[in-house]
Amino acid sequence: MIGFTILLTFFGIIIVAFASITQKKLADSIILFMGVGLGSVVLFFIFNAPDVALTEAVIGAGISSLIFLMALKHLKAEV
Amino acid sequence: MSIKRTLPTSVLSGFALSGAFVLTILQLLLQNIPKDIDRAGDSLLQLNASEGVANAVTTVVVYFRGFDTLGEIAVLFIAALGIGLMLGENERCVIKAQSNFMLHTGAKLLFPIITLYGVYVMSYGHLSPGGGFQGGVIIASGILLLLISHRDFEVPHSFIVWLETLAGVAYVLIGLIGLLTLDVFLGNFLPHDVSQMGLLLSGGIIPIIYIIVGIKVGSEMSAIVQSLIKRGDNV
Repeated sequence: MIGFTILLTFFGIIIVAFASITQKKLADSIILFMGVGLGSVVLFFIFNAPDVALTEAVIGAGISSLIFLMALKHLKAEV
Repeated sequence: MSIKRTLPTSVLSGFALSGAFVLTILQLLLQNIPKDIDRAGDSLLQLNASEGVANAVTTVVVYFRGFDTLGEIAVLFIAALGIGLMLGENERCVIKAQSNFMLHTGAKLLFPIITLYGVYVMSYGHLSPGGGFQGGVIIASGILLLLISHRDFEVPHSFIVWLETLAGVAYVLIGLIGLLTLDVFLGNFLPHDVSQMGLLLSGGIIPIIYIIVGIKVGSEMSAIVQSLIKRGDNV
């Protein structure tokens, strides 16, 4: 069961990452990038690394994507 | 029409030479496999008990590699400095329309809970997963929520500056006290007994340093988020 979850998360991360780089709109791309971070959180937690999982959840999936979104807002305002 | 191409002999001989080289190295490596591999992490984990900290990752990050953590905080400070220089204070924003009612009320409800969770992660970093970096960023995300929902909310700039300066100076001062008393930079000069492992007050200077790291990271991330949002309002 745990192996099935790991495999599902692996392929989910790959699919979401591929969808993220093929999006036309940059905002959709950033939201899918948050999905990549979320999948990594599940993997880190399964592989007995709760410290890294917490860091990835807070920094990778959380605040860095929000900083990307805010930077995108600046880009749209200036173009 | 033929796809077959003739490779020059220099390329072929290059391939052959590099293949022989790789095979030789592989054979040497396979002959000399050590019986029991002594990894660097194992000796650190054995040393961990002497500091009386339950979370081994915290001991490695804050104590055995404490000087590296000081450097990481300096890197984050330089990033905050660059963003503050680029998105400076000279373009002040004009407060626009009030935000959504749901966002307004939800932020009021969620901000204390997020801040409390951040303080918990920060102060229990030596007992459970988490620590200063994570707790500081959680507090900064709570401040981000308030900045989005309340347009007239602003953390005073001088407050951020003083908090960050005091935290940085305190980190270096603790390290220097350790250097004076134990001849090691960031030496653990407070009592750290193994029998106290698992208590909130255990591990000597390690929880204190992680709280200092949390304050510094939280103020730096809040400054980054605030300068990004406040400049975005006027355009």
